[in-house]
Amino acid sequence: MYVLAGRHVFAIARNAFREAVRDRVLYNLVVFVLLLIAGAIFLGEISAGQEAKILVDLGLSAILLFGVFIAIFVGVGLVYKEIERRTLYAILSKPIGRGEFLLGKYLGLCLTLLVNVAIMGVGLSLALLYVQRGWDPLLVRIWPAILLIYVELLILTGVAMLFSAFSSPALSALLAFFVFVIGHFSADLKTLAKSMGSAPSRWVFAGLYYLLPNFANYNSITAAAHGQVTDGRAIAAAAAYGAVYVAVLLAATTLIFSRRNLK
Amino acid sequence: MKRDLFLVLVIVVGLLAAALLTHWNEEHSRDPRVQSADEQLYLDGPAMKRLTLAFNGIAADWYWMRSLQYVGRKMVAYEDTHTGNLDLNSLSFLDLRLLPALLRMTTILDPQFLEPYYYGALILPSLNPDEAISLLNQGIAANPHVWRLYQHLGYIYWQRGDYNKASEVYAAGAKIPGVPPWMMAMSARMKAEGGASQAAREMYTHLSESSEDPTVKQMVKTQLMRLDSLEERDKIRRVLSDYTNRNGHCATSWKETSAALPAAGLRINASGAPLDPTNVPYRLIKNGCDVDLGERSELPRR
Repeated sequence: MYVLAGRHVFAIARNAFREAVRDRVLYNLVVFVLLLIAGAIFLGEISAGQEAKILVDLGLSAILLFGVFIAIFVGVGLVYKEIERRTLYAILSKPIGRGEFLLGKYLGLCLTLLVNVAIMGVGLSLALLYVQRGWDPLLVRIWPAILLIYVELLILTGVAMLFSAFSSPALSALLAFFVFVIGHFSADLKTLAKSMGSAPSRWVFAGLYYLLPNFANYNSITAAAHGQVTDGRAIAAAAAYGAVYVAVLLAATTLIFSRRNLK
Repeated sequence: MKRDLFLVLVIVVGLLAAALLTHWNEEHSRDPRVQSADEQLYLDGPAMKRLTLAFNGIAADWYWMRSLQYVGRKMVAYEDTHTGNLDLNSLSFLDLRLLPALLRMTTILDPQFLEPYYYGALILPSLNPDEAISLLNQGIAANPHVWRLYQHLGYIYWQRGDYNKASEVYAAGAKIPGVPPWMMAMSARMKAEGGASQAAREMYTHLSESSEDPTVKQMVKTQLMRLDSLEERDKIRRVLSDYTNRNGHCATSWKETSAALPAAGLRINASGAPLDPTNVPYRLIKNGCDVDLGERSELPRR
């Protein structure tokens, strides 16, 4: 039974990936490459010898930004488009559960993001090779940061899917973007919780701090630009947090979607 | 077909007209870049750091490049309206009031970005030494293991004539593992003879050796030539004093001391005038009793 469910999920994921490619989602890579080429050529002129640091900042920030746009805008449309086109009914009329469908869609987008992020990472490495005129430790040290960005995008995709399970794509995109922003303010939420006078306010903000995704765990762009590598334990903890959080998000999405009246 | 051609024509003509209008606007209005060059920063560093989310690194890079452009634009504007070149020793002529805020913003957004601290250490002392000290102290707090920050801070205290404080800073920096041994030696040197010429020479030499910035190297080269010139002027004064003692009056021209000057180790030109390190003749002042840099000399006056 599990093997069959796995095959269903795999087939849906593969189709979701193909659809993303057909929808020209990967065209953002062209913009990214142009950005890096421009950065590699012109940064030397205006950065006073800091071109490698700025190129890494620029490249990793672009990977995160493009990834956030893909995760949110493609993520919110994954289920909605299937309902709009009424292809969902054809899928669900087969022995495929709603949970399998959602998991397949999610994994398909994760694969799209993986390809996207990996190609951008290679592009950034090549740009660094050009700027540094050969081997540089930064070529290796950027990859843990890229991995953390990818895990952050996996969580954000889950968030976008969760919202799209019960609201319109526009509202889902807005809410997912808010979660992305608040997720980077998590340290402030904690400080706010501590500084609150009344106990209920403290609990509310402490609750928000623990409930909302903590994206501060994945912010290592600046450190990577200085050639610092996030230690393995922190990466493992961030990956574990990501896995747990994605599981929670997918479970919640499935719970809501399985109760949704599709008639 | 005709419609397509018309649309292409509209696009081409429209773009040309837009370019011409932009050009006309630039010609007939005040340069907005000049107007906005000194516009204050509306957000403070911590607020900006929050707002930039995970993009604080790229925002810091943006402010760093803005700092460089800001100084560069002011230098170009100065050189367009004044004769002679401007170097790091005479930046106080420029109105760089926004630079401390820009560097502060850069380093708050990315406290481990060292270049803005070094840049601030060289540029800010002539504009606002307290701001330079504050920036470097912030840098040391964020990067306590970077000895070059201590070196720059010690240099600023030395420039201010606060040799005890300079000595303290060098001693603190000397405790960092892997620091060059001369840091400890500089600490002792500052305490013993901070104002001496040889101590200054060592200070500049170490500054040049520990920096890869060509602007810093040029500044050090100029300062070392200034020190050479100070020593030369001391020698010339001794020659002039001997001449006065012998003849009962000051020299009326360099010709009268043309034999004594080379004997004192000075270079002279065809008319007997001693040459400074940039090969510009010194000039006699105070009726031949004293010496000063020639008017064409590009050496710093102080």
